[in-house]
Amino acid sequence: MSLSRSPSPVPGGGWASPGLTNNLSPSGRSSPTKAYAGSNGTPVMWERQKSMGGPAYQSFSTQNQGFFSRHMRRISSQLPRFKADNTHGAEREKIGQGRWSGLNMLRLGRIRGITGRMSRRTKMLLAFFLLFLLGYIIFYSTPLVYYYRRTSWLGGGQKFVIILAANVGGGVMEWKGAREWAIERDSIRNKKKYVAKWGYDLEIVDMSTKKRYAHEWRESWEKVDFVRSTLRKYPKAEWVWWLDLNTFIMEPSKSLQDHIFDRIEDVTYRDITEYNPLNISHPPADPYLDELSKSPIGDGNPNSIHLMLSQDCSGFNLGSFFMRRGTWTDHLLDVWWDPVAYEQKHMEWEHKEQDALEQLYIAQPWIRKSTAFLPQRMINSFPTGACSEKGTDPRIHYDQKDRDFLVNMAGCEWGRDCWGEMYNFRELSYYLNRSLWERFKEDLLCGIWFKLTGKKVKF
Amino acid sequence: MHFAYPPRKSSNPPPFRPRTSALPTIRSRRLKTIVLAGLAFVTLLWLFQTGRRNRHAPPAYHKPSGNPPVVIVTVFNEGKYGKGYLDTVKENRLKYAEKHGISPSPPPNSGYGTFFVKSSDYDLRGAPTSWASLPAVRHAMTKFPDASYIWYLDQNAFIMNPLLKIEEHVMKPSRLEELMIKDHPVVPPDSIIKTFSHLKGHDVDFVLTQDKDGLSSSSFVVKNGEWAKFFIETWFDPIYRSYNFQKAEQHALEHIVQWHPTILAKLALVPQRILNSYSKEKGGQEYKEGDLAVRLYACGEAGEDTCETESQRFAQWKAAFQNS
Repeated sequence: MSLSRSPSPVPGGGWASPGLTNNLSPSGRSSPTKAYAGSNGTPVMWERQKSMGGPAYQSFSTQNQGFFSRHMRRISSQLPRFKADNTHGAEREKIGQGRWSGLNMLRLGRIRGITGRMSRRTKMLLAFFLLFLLGYIIFYSTPLVYYYRRTSWLGGGQKFVIILAANVGGGVMEWKGAREWAIERDSIRNKKKYVAKWGYDLEIVDMSTKKRYAHEWRESWEKVDFVRSTLRKYPKAEWVWWLDLNTFIMEPSKSLQDHIFDRIEDVTYRDITEYNPLNISHPPADPYLDELSKSPIGDGNPNSIHLMLSQDCSGFNLGSFFMRRGTWTDHLLDVWWDPVAYEQKHMEWEHKEQDALEQLYIAQPWIRKSTAFLPQRMINSFPTGACSEKGTDPRIHYDQKDRDFLVNMAGCEWGRDCWGEMYNFRELSYYLNRSLWERFKEDLLCGIWFKLTGKKVKF
Repeated sequence: MHFAYPPRKSSNPPPFRPRTSALPTIRSRRLKTIVLAGLAFVTLLWLFQTGRRNRHAPPAYHKPSGNPPVVIVTVFNEGKYGKGYLDTVKENRLKYAEKHGISPSPPPNSGYGTFFVKSSDYDLRGAPTSWASLPAVRHAMTKFPDASYIWYLDQNAFIMNPLLKIEEHVMKPSRLEELMIKDHPVVPPDSIIKTFSHLKGHDVDFVLTQDKDGLSSSSFVVKNGEWAKFFIETWFDPIYRSYNFQKAEQHALEHIVQWHPTILAKLALVPQRILNSYSKEKGGQEYKEGDLAVRLYACGEAGEDTCETESQRFAQWKAAFQNS
């Protein structure tokens, strides 16, 4: 159904086309304009509560308020004790007035003795070793690591924000069960750990179906609004990384910089013909276009890349993608949702915003100039259940041997066991990323014990 | 009696005794190594940092150098209009471009460029021929990558005042700030989307006029650049072409301007007679002596009210061009 002229936006906000209005609101426009124009990015409430630390309700307790009242006992027990009541002659000690002096003096003296006997060289070595240890502890096992990895000149972590879509379909469509909560908890914890390790920011967004979107048929395009509001909320962020809820970062020890951004020109491909499940003709061949637009790889300079995504067996996949701050991105986020396009295509577009992006990519050459693709298994490996019509594909499916970076359990809500997959991948990730000590214990000691006694043990 | 006493200390110790401290003093040689190591560390940091900085640079796009300053684009609907008439129109454009340089001017000649195409040159996939103006403008950007402005002028329009320059009469930022119609409904009378009220002249990339029906796409100026490419390609999207807008690309323009703020943010509406006077008052503001261009409003290909006869009323442009 098309009109002679597209309707203007109306004071109520929203797209009122005769084919789409419902009977409940005769005007067809009930969402306020403010909500349409204003910021759409509200983080999930309970998460915000947590991140602010502690319960929001007021505590009225007057005890245990200050540092001293809480730690009084501990501090006072560590203080040197003098015998205040040594007036009774029987308990008088002759040597030393305080009990602490004798023992501690002895120990101190012994240490002084040891250091005194050491050669200057050994002393230096020891000092160096201690300094190294101190540095290691300070830089790797204190919260300091988070802060120095954030700085723009040491780590650059503040340039990256992860957006995690939580609460998918919640609110109206579904009632969350224990498994859904568990999935959400695991997924969020996984990203929180990753972010804390590398100094990134995490923005958890609420994807519950809202009236605003339900009314305008704009579900799934919240992604667009959330990317926009996140860029606004984190002014220092250069890249945002969108992640669906059913994803798990398998290799948290890889930073995004090492994995992708420091070698962007080597890992991305811009010529879609390298892997082209949609058979999009590339490069655009219209006679009126300039050389740059007709070039299969754009300008070839990684600086012009503003969108990085991967393709699965059926085309673009927006379960995990990167967008860079910039004019190009503003333009794309603006034209991504268009009522005229939506009205014509919403019956065909099964994956909504994903199909819309494909459509834009096909139709408008400026999109291609800043779009790059990553091999799917770099950012978006699938478990064997997804895209499984043609069996396992080394381009698509997770392989433990290659230590793929991220798993996206795409489509697990349609007939597969999301929680089971999430659990398995979580355990696998822990197993693959054991520390040296854990490996030593589990592989060597337990192995020897098993050989000797025939019993499996755990330390 | 000899006792091995050490010699007595002097009773008047020197006022400044050498410092006897546990800390070793830093000797000059060691100081040098420390300074060198520090320098090396700073250099390393710096190298490290510059290596990273490149990755965060904004993309480098071609910046038009302004040669030629303006390209005039017209799409000819050949076959429907008489050849004589179309030649007159062409001559009108060429003469105007000539006034501001040598034309048709491929670089490096300074002066206005002209770009004429036939509407049948582009594959519109069944959309009305008026859509051809968009690939034509995009084509002109390709052909003249260094042009500052692209002026699209409808076929049924004549440039009347050869003295006015596009880049001064219309596009100069200070001039634009005077001309701009601010906070005005994009589609009169009831659209809630209004032109921006705090737009600066140098932020404007797209200038057009409004007639009595709404936005008029018969004469507009675009500043060449990345935004212009984005804008024209978006406007030309096949989805809009297949939507059966009653007034084809004109209504598509009204649509994208109202729904996409990145486009509205670069748009300036100017009074109609600056760029796009009409031959009849029925459609919009009527042409008055001295206006830049006149569009023959609602003229037909055949019948009594043809564009050709209508154009006779404005034949004085030839004289004006000769005198100036």
